Amino acid sequence: MQEIVIDCLGEACPVPLVKAQNKLKEMNIGDILICQIDHSCAMKNLPEWARTDGHNVEVDEVDDGEWEVVIEKVK
Amino acid sequence: MSDTGTTSTIKRSSSRSRTKRKPKKSQLPQATFVLIVVIALGLFLSGRDNGIAWFFVTGLAFGYILQRSRFCFTASMRDPYLTGGTTLTRAVLIAFAITTIGFTAIKYGYFSKGLPIPGMSYVAPISLATVIGAFMFGVGMVIAGGCASGTLMRVGEGFTMQLLSLTFFTVGSLIGANHFGWWKDVFTSKGTKVFLPDVFGWFGAVVIQLLIIFLLYIAAEKWQDAKANH
Repeated sequence: MQEIVIDCLGEACPVPLVKAQNKLKEMNIGDILICQIDHSCAMKNLPEWARTDGHNVEVDEVDDGEWEVVIEKVK
Repeated sequence: MSDTGTTSTIKRSSSRSRTKRKPKKSQLPQATFVLIVVIALGLFLSGRDNGIAWFFVTGLAFGYILQRSRFCFTASMRDPYLTGGTTLTRAVLIAFAITTIGFTAIKYGYFSKGLPIPGMSYVAPISLATVIGAFMFGVGMVIAGGCASGTLMRVGEGFTMQLLSLTFFTVGSLIGANHFGWWKDVFTSKGTKVFLPDVFGWFGAVVIQLLIIFLLYIAAEKWQDAKANH
């Protein structure tokens, strides 16, 4: 099981999502992706997409206006 | 929110422990300060002109709702393609439906009293220029990470990167406003103006517009289902 962290701090809305989508494609089942974001909009659409795609998702607010979206690839 | 709970279902490797959440500082002093500034500014503006104080209040309310609800016009157009989610698209459609009823009521109110209908200068001619302009705006807002309201909201929220978008949005708007007469003469005024109540009658216009919005809503829902099960 691998844990991959991608740094999307300072990236505007669609960028964290697209990065996470691409990264997730090359990962194995059971791997965990941690996406660091500070764009409140991505905090909404990234978990939403990952959930509808069927992955396990958690959002941690690590600081004011900074989040870590933890995605476990399940399929 | 349920996803910020403390119980974790995802087992994370021990190599990297969960980032400790910094304790939240109380923001009460800042909040009090902002509140005082807002009240002072409101009083100052209302002393000068009644209209502008009203715009200030509605603007603040709009910004607050936009920020809290994560309402984003860009995402409403982009997410159906990018993520397959259409929740924001449907939120925008609902907003359109509500404003359709509200604006028609206001306009009909003036019309029935025989007064000039307000806001008729926004009935702009439609032509190919509308389509091309809309497409360019769409490309721009996805790259910039937000439309006008979204960019303003996120700068206010403290997302400094979009100060860049805001700067060039302002520059572009000023240049555009300066040249607008020429664009209007050469391109946009060539089209035909359509004011739906003139064509279908007041009641018919509302019904037809709401019907179109309803059909788009159904389509958005179907699109999400299709994307989720692909």
